[in-house]
Amino acid sequence: MLHFAPSELSEAELALQAEVREFLETELPRGSFAPGLGMAAGRDKNFSRALAARGWLGMSLPRRYGGAERGAVDRFIVVEELLRWGAPVRYHWVADRQTGPLLMRYGTAAQRERFLPMISGGEVSFSIGMSEPEAGSDLAAVQTRATRADRGWRVSGTKLWTGGAHENDWCVVLCRTSDEDDRRKGLTQVIVDLRAPGVSARPIAYLDGSEFFNEVVLDDAFVADELVIGAVGAGWEQNTSELAYERAGPERWLSTYLVVEQYLREHGARDTRAQAALGEAVAGWWGIRALSLSVARLLDAGRAPAAEAALVKELGTRFEQEVLDAIWRLVPDDPDPAADSLFERLLAAAILGAPSFTIRGGTNEILRSVAARALRA
Amino acid sequence: MTAAHALAVLRERGPDRAAETVLLGEWLLAQAGLSGQGAEVTVAPGNARDRVVLRDGRVSGTAHRVPWARDAAQIAVLHDGRVLVVDRAAVTIQSHVNLAGDTRDTVVFDGDVARTGPGVDAGALFMRGALTRIALMAGALDRVYEIAVRHAGDRRQFGRPIGSFQAVQQHLVTIAQQAALAGVAAGVTASHPGGFEVAAGKLLTNRAALSAGRAAHQVLGARGTTREHPLGQLTRRLWAWRSEYGDEHHWSTRLGAGIARAGADVLYPAITGGSRVVSV
Repeated sequence: MLHFAPSELSEAELALQAEVREFLETELPRGSFAPGLGMAAGRDKNFSRALAARGWLGMSLPRRYGGAERGAVDRFIVVEELLRWGAPVRYHWVADRQTGPLLMRYGTAAQRERFLPMISGGEVSFSIGMSEPEAGSDLAAVQTRATRADRGWRVSGTKLWTGGAHENDWCVVLCRTSDEDDRRKGLTQVIVDLRAPGVSARPIAYLDGSEFFNEVVLDDAFVADELVIGAVGAGWEQNTSELAYERAGPERWLSTYLVVEQYLREHGARDTRAQAALGEAVAGWWGIRALSLSVARLLDAGRAPAAEAALVKELGTRFEQEVLDAIWRLVPDDPDPAADSLFERLLAAAILGAPSFTIRGGTNEILRSVAARALRA
Repeated sequence: MTAAHALAVLRERGPDRAAETVLLGEWLLAQAGLSGQGAEVTVAPGNARDRVVLRDGRVSGTAHRVPWARDAAQIAVLHDGRVLVVDRAAVTIQSHVNLAGDTRDTVVFDGDVARTGPGVDAGALFMRGALTRIALMAGALDRVYEIAVRHAGDRRQFGRPIGSFQAVQQHLVTIAQQAALAGVAAGVTASHPGGFEVAAGKLLTNRAALSAGRAAHQVLGARGTTREHPLGQLTRRLWAWRSEYGDEHHWSTRLGAGIARAGADVLYPAITGGSRVVSV
């Protein structure tokens, strides 16, 4: 049985929302920067540090690691405002969303001491090294192999679709450390220095020509023992545990938001076609936001809403594409990616980015299977 | 019975004459300063084809698609910002039903007005009606979800439950998602029935009715298409309620126009703040 319950934001939560809005209007006024689409927005280390100074990175982490000891709903509020503003979140995105909570839960004391304060401070960037040429949705098929070495491991293999590997500091790499009958065993996550010898990143040109994704080749790269996350052989469990539940956030339904906002700013909505498209979009955001917020409330209540999170991500990412199509249909010509109009540039970027919405972070087909397991009478 | 309670009854039990009478009839009478005068009153929802004429205390004309009309003690109809309450005995009923076989009578007026009061806004009645349909539809979708999930677990083909096939699971996921959206729409509008919330809520439940209804029939196969199967009664009602008090076109253009008036800078604040930020 699924649990979704609508809720209102509390006074304190509304105050946080107002604080973030005021911060963005002051520090990053509209027109002063090139807004981006959700997670694909710009990269600006100084902006990430300004967020850190407000206590908005590593929000859930303990204070001793520079965190704010705040919950999933507070982080939801900060993230939704940043994304709908098109703020440059890319420098800290993975570290804040994924690596921080991962190390807090599974990392060694030394790893927490070393990395968490930097994550909360906006001083370090991470990539994720999971997919491989032969391991996409079937993650247990990874072939990157770590073999024992003196005081560490030698890692060899090829990672694919590793976002930001050419510009980030570290990469959490899922690799095989032993062969077991159960393929989900013998997998381990290690932290790889992206500038270390034996590590090279080759950019992959995406549909829009951007080179954010990489093929990362690990050629006998050395990883010290102290950079193994948690226990050797516990990599699968780390990946599929409740950390996954935290992936149904606003980044799964706001990727095309700014296309709509900017359409409205430049064109208004004077005829019924445009009004209908706008109304449909707004109703969708209103409903999906309530479901997504409900997942955050469950997390704060100590629950493990795996199926709910999968349902919301599946629904939200398809909705991002539907919204895009509705606005696209209002435009007579195909958009020019280098147009003077910000709307036109955002529309072009969204059209070219949209195929990845329903693939990245778990395809919708996989998500439906995950969710369906919880649908029982 | 409070409004929130009556909405909960509608969601739980389905179309319930008492709940609808409280939510629409008693509410309408209270608006017109006519509360507490006894008889159960059903309300003419206000149809584009309605023609009502008031002359010297006598009302004539017709009102269409009036629920429970043949069984009600009195019928209330709006005319020029006033509520006219007419005894059942003073009207002629042409029996009609909706897709689900529920009464949606045509009422032919040609007689005295029993009671009348001022100050009623047809738009407010329309909003209130939409609120009842959101609750009804969310409740029906909860049951559609239960029926589909149970059937997918029980029904075996090719030697295993059909719910173990990915193609069927995809339908179940659609139903679960749409029932969840309708559920939050009903939950929010019951406690905060502002214009924005009702508009967005009715739009979402209408869409949910179509997509979840279709998916559920596909899961149930031929069995769900019989007159006696509970799924069919639920989907027939969902399809009927979809049109009542605003279809998708009505609410999407109205919501979009309200948002456009407010402007791009408050688009996101409207999504989070609803009717506190924009009027629809």
